[in-house]
Order: sequence, then C-alpha cells, then structure tokens
Amino acid sequence: MTSHPSAERPALSRSSAGSPDDWTFRVEALTKRFGALAANDSITLRVRPGEVYGLLGPNGAGKSTLVKQTIGLLKPTSGRITLGRFDLVADPDAARQLCSYLPQVQMPIDSFHVVEAIELAGRIRGAGARDVRGRTASLIDALDLGEWKDALGHTLSGGVKRLVGFCMAIVRPGRLVILDEPTNDVDPLRRRLLWEEIRSLGAHGCAVLLVTHNVLEAEKSVDRLAVIHKGRLVAEGTPSSMKAADRSQLRLQLMLTPGTATPALPPWAGPAVRVGHNLVTAIAEVDASTAISWAAELTNAGVAEEYALSAMTLEDAYIRLTSHMSGDGDDDGDA
Amino acid sequence: MPELQDASVIVPHGTVERGARHWWHDYAVMVQWHLASLRVWLVTLTIVQLLAGVGFVLGISLFFVRVPMTAALFVSTGVPVINLMTVGLILGPQLVADQKSNGSYEYLRSMPVSRSVTAAAWYTVCLIGGVPAMVVSLGVARLRYDLPLHVSPMIVPAVLLTSFAGTMLGYALGHAIGSPMATRLITQLLVFAIFGFAPILFPLSQMPRWLGTLNWWFPFRQMAVVTRAALTPGGHAAVLSAYVVLGLWAIACAGLAGRALGRRP
Repeated sequence: MTSHPSAERPALSRSSAGSPDDWTFRVEALTKRFGALAANDSITLRVRPGEVYGLLGPNGAGKSTLVKQTIGLLKPTSGRITLGRFDLVADPDAARQLCSYLPQVQMPIDSFHVVEAIELAGRIRGAGARDVRGRTASLIDALDLGEWKDALGHTLSGGVKRLVGFCMAIVRPGRLVILDEPTNDVDPLRRRLLWEEIRSLGAHGCAVLLVTHNVLEAEKSVDRLAVIHKGRLVAEGTPSSMKAADRSQLRLQLMLTPGTATPALPPWAGPAVRVGHNLVTAIAEVDASTAISWAAELTNAGVAEEYALSAMTLEDAYIRLTSHMSGDGDDDGDA
Repeated sequence: MPELQDASVIVPHGTVERGARHWWHDYAVMVQWHLASLRVWLVTLTIVQLLAGVGFVLGISLFFVRVPMTAALFVSTGVPVINLMTVGLILGPQLVADQKSNGSYEYLRSMPVSRSVTAAAWYTVCLIGGVPAMVVSLGVARLRYDLPLHVSPMIVPAVLLTSFAGTMLGYALGHAIGSPMATRLITQLLVFAIFGFAPILFPLSQMPRWLGTLNWWFPFRQMAVVTRAALTPGGHAAVLSAYVVLGLWAIACAGLAGRALGRRP
C-alpha cells in the first residue's frame, strides 16, 4: 500500500507526537460523559509498539467506551486519542484503517466459509489476494483450525468462531490491535496458541490493547496493564509492580459450602470479597498458621468445603482496587 | 516465527489510504463480502422474488374471465418495480435491524472502508437480487398476455434509479432509525402501503384525487412511472418530473443514511 499525500495529517504537539516511525498509542485526559455519568473520566495511558497492554476492569467500568472512542464509533467529550502522528478523534477514517478490532460479540460470519471470512477481512484491510491467502493458511495452521477451514460459520462452536474472529482481526493487523476478550469460549490448548499469536503481533511492531476482565490470564500475558474502575484509571503498571503492595501478604481462599452465610472474619484478615461460594481475603505472612487453623475449623464445622493458602496474585491487587473478583468468560456488558 | 511468505502482511501498515483506486478496490471486496454474507438468503430471495413476480403476473388472470389489456399491462410493468425495490427497501433495513440486535453492527461500522463504498456495494447486491426476477417476470408477462412491450434504452436509467432509490430508502430506514424494532415495524407498514396505496400495479386514475396527489410526492409512484415509460411505447407524461422526484428521494435518503452511519454520539 502507498500513502496518499492528502492523508498526511499535521504533526501533533511535541508533547504527544513522536517521529514518523513512532507509532505509540496515546490517550490523554480522555473523558466521555453520557449525561451526568462519566463513562471515562480523565483517562491517560500509553501503549508502545510491540507492547501487549491489558485494560482490566469490571462490567461497566468504561473499557468498551474507551475502545469505541478509539475506533471512531463514539466521540469523546474531551481529551485526545492519537496513534503515532494521527489524531484518531479528528480523523475516524484513519482510526478505522490503522486499528484492527476484535469485538466482544461474535463476528457476523454465519454465511461465510472460515477461510473466506479471514481472507476477505484481510483484503478489506488492504492486503493483496496472494499475500492474504498465505497468511490465512499460516494462521489456520498456527491456531490448529484446519478441520474447520471449509466449514460455514453457523456450524462452528463458540470457541472456534471466536478464533476465526481473532484471525480476521489480525490477518492484516493495524498499528494498534484491539482485542476485546479474545479468549472467551476458547479451549485451554488453543488459548495457548492464541497467546503465542498475540505475542507475535507485538514482535512485529503492533501495539496490542487487550480488553479483559480475566485477570489471571492477563497476568501471564501482558507487558503492562491498567485497571479501570467507574470510568477512572485507578492503577497502571507491570503485573509485578501491581502486586508490589501485596508483598509479605498471602491469599486465603475459602470455598464455602453452598447455602452458608459468609463467616465473620477475624481481625487479622484483610477485607474479603465473596463471589458465589468463593471467599477471598488477604493475610499477613506472620498470620499464616493462625489462618490455617481458622480455615480448618470452618472446614470441619461444614461452613467451608475446602480452603487454599497461596501467594498473592494480580487478581488480589485487582480485587483491592475494584472490590470485584475477575471472571472467565463472563458477559461484560460494558458501558 | 512466521513464515517469510506472509511477513509483509503481518507488518502493520502505517498509511491511510484515500482516493479513487482505493475506492474501487474496497468496492470490489465489499461486494464479495455482502454476497458471502447473504450466501443462502440471496438464492432463496431470488427464488421467492421469481415466484412472487410470476405469481402476480399470472394471478391477475384469476380476477377476470377475460383479462383487460390495461390490467395486464399495469401488473406486468408494475411487478418489475416491486422486484427491483424489494431487496433494498424491505430486506436491507431488516438485515441492519438484525445486525443492531445481535451486536455485529458496531463491527461492521468499524470496517476500514468508506461509507460510500459500503453503500455502493450493497446497492450492487440489491441489483443482483432484483434484476433477474424482473427479467423473468417481464418474460412471463409477454408470453401470457402477448403485451405490446417496447423496451427502450431508458430502461437502463429507470432500473438503476428505481433500485437505487429503493435501496437508499431502505438504507436510511435501517441506519437512521435507532430502534431495530421500529425499523422492522416501519418496513412492514411500507409493504402494506406500497401494495395497497401506491399506484404501481394499478392506474393512478383509480385512486381518490387527494391520494393521487399525495403519491406524487412519494417515490413509489415515480418508480412505476419511469419503469413503465421505458417498457411501453408512446409518449409518457411526467416522466422527467418522476426522475427528478425519484432522484431527490434517493439523494436525501443516501445523505440521511450517510449521516447516521458517520454519527459519533
């Protein structure tokens, strides 16, 4: 593809623009209001080329609102979104061409053959027919989708359809690849393959924005991440730096017996979060033996079925920041 | 590491394409996209269109012991109009309503193609879905009633504009109306209005004067005027004004749909 001269936009201010080769994705003081509700409240973040950046947050946190503003479906109330020297708010055409997008809902490919859907997606993104054929074959091979390559979309399982949608999003990647819950419904083996492909995108210079509320998976896969809660960016850093505040603490998880009330917590336990039958709290390492005795008592009394004491995870930091436990494959329904 | 053969595809591109050459490339691919997305339905729809068209043409004979030439002529030249407008005006907005309901609408809006490309590709698909049924309906009418049809070169602009106006009206209904349910209801209402109260299959003179005047301002009667003028011999009054009214409707609807598609709340 060649650049059309008229496509070039004026360079951005020195603070936010890099050299022509700088394809950093920048969100600056982004605010989006729906009436009195601030779905995004002065969010600032940056994703460098080659970086896999996780955007975490519970349902309604404002993740999808940020994505929709990035790809030109919503207009910010204030703030800037830039990709390299392109202002994505002022130039939605550039936003759609420079960003690849895997939405959270399934792709509309019921009438498409798998190979056809991926190839057409690549050609719509400007790749030549021959190139895209080779790339499609590589992706189908890499994600072990060979047995479905000639199948029609409506015959596919949710997980396979998700993988086909992923291939459509990355067959001809943009400078920014936005993946909204890419692993939903995907089996564990192919999840691993999918993460390899995401890492490969980074290796080829794409900035990857990964939207998820599956914290455990993000912890293993992202370079940096941000936690969004009630429209605000409440934390940002590497997975390790996010866990720093929890050092010298342990995670105590109780699987409560169905039908039982949440037991009163001892004073040495931190704030707890219960989701379903899972009760999770943080304790100091010095209280480990006391905590084991307490948990064993609850188990013997039939209040809990089992318990686990382990090192703190990113999820604990996430719980601390948002008072929510992450899910795997939950419906986001994000604002 | 990826194979060398696809390395150029993986490396993200850093240009924004605009211009005619890019437009035609996108148009060709989007026609393929629309055709593939209607793979099953387009065949079914074409068959239904053929059956409906032929059914109308032949069915009119059941109303009469001896079919008057005027009735045969109006039905035979009105059915092609129905054939031409059905895909764009009826199926189009219902598909968009479905996309809005199942969540795929936002993905389709995020595709890196211009709004004019998407609209032009969809218009092409509507022509592909309408023209074969139109031709067959006319052929059957000719055989059944031995009509004095005279297909003039004006059939080309008449067909193109009739289909375009229907497609753009449907496009506006689908994209500019926020609620999918409202789109579906209005589409149903349109079917009822077109068959019952637009002088497509019967002469304008059979309508109350006020309804005839009202129809002058709507596109459906004008579609019948331009199509009929291109299919029958002799001079036709008000053809030029019909083209103008139809063209204005098409432009207005295209503008409305384009604005709705580009809207960023």
